Amino acid sequence: MSTSVPAAEPSDEILAARAAAGDDAAFEAIVRRYQARVYRLACRLTSDTEAPDVLQDTFLQVYGHLSSFRGDSLFSTWLYRIATNAGLMYRRTRARRPAESLDAYLPRFDDDGRHVGTPAELQVASNADDLLDRQFLASQARAAIEKLPDLYREAFVLRDLEEMSTAYVADALGIEPATVRQRVHRARLMVRGYLSELVGVKP
Amino acid sequence: MNPIACASGVDLLMDFLEGVLPAELTAALEHHVAGCPRCAAFVASYQATPRILRDATAVALPPEVETSLKAFLSARTTAFKESKPS
Repeated sequence: MSTSVPAAEPSDEILAARAAAGDDAAFEAIVRRYQARVYRLACRLTSDTEAPDVLQDTFLQVYGHLSSFRGDSLFSTWLYRIATNAGLMYRRTRARRPAESLDAYLPRFDDDGRHVGTPAELQVASNADDLLDRQFLASQARAAIEKLPDLYREAFVLRDLEEMSTAYVADALGIEPATVRQRVHRARLMVRGYLSELVGVKP
Repeated sequence: MNPIACASGVDLLMDFLEGVLPAELTAALEHHVAGCPRCAAFVASYQATPRILRDATAVALPPEVETSLKAFLSARTTAFKESKPS
């Protein structure tokens, strides 16, 4: 009895080499493999309306620079870096909006530095996804990210939502790892407070 | 060991969770959180926040966006090849 064993999918690096040599099918395979991830990143860094442009720009740049991919890093890291830069560029060329104060979402302490809320109130944000309608939470999550100051938003999206390492984010944003941690921390405090308010509890 | 209040403990959370907080402060923070139900609750929500936002913003690629990406790249890569001397 003969059984056919499905051929293993070619690695990213093999596809990249073929695409760089002019194999269109290989490039299309790369696009299919990464388009959903790049789109998701673009939505988080920019918006639903800008994400299709970021997606197109990313893969056009990937195509144009395939021959410069040297394999010093994983192909996925290289591609993701291009996508990140494309998203940041879109974000930064957008007209800056006046900064909105998010202090109301920060945790509150009494004069002795103790949390004002009860343990149940302080923990409630952990259950936001159980307590809130899924679609409502999705729209509010986007609103919360959109409210963040740009510097916090970039760091929060890359570190906490895309789960890149702090070192990678520092490199991508051109800042120190300690600054990444500080910005992610501030963003996380604000978003946590926003979730608390959504379920009816002061942060 | 430096005493830690809830407010100063919150300021240390990110460094603590990333493992870059000095040992003395790590011990002081752990000691405080172990005896403070409010901080334990706060830390739980602080740690849950990225996961909740990640899940809530995990959008799928719309079919129409995929179609227009394919058409865009097909046109641009063809133009790119035609512009190169053979």
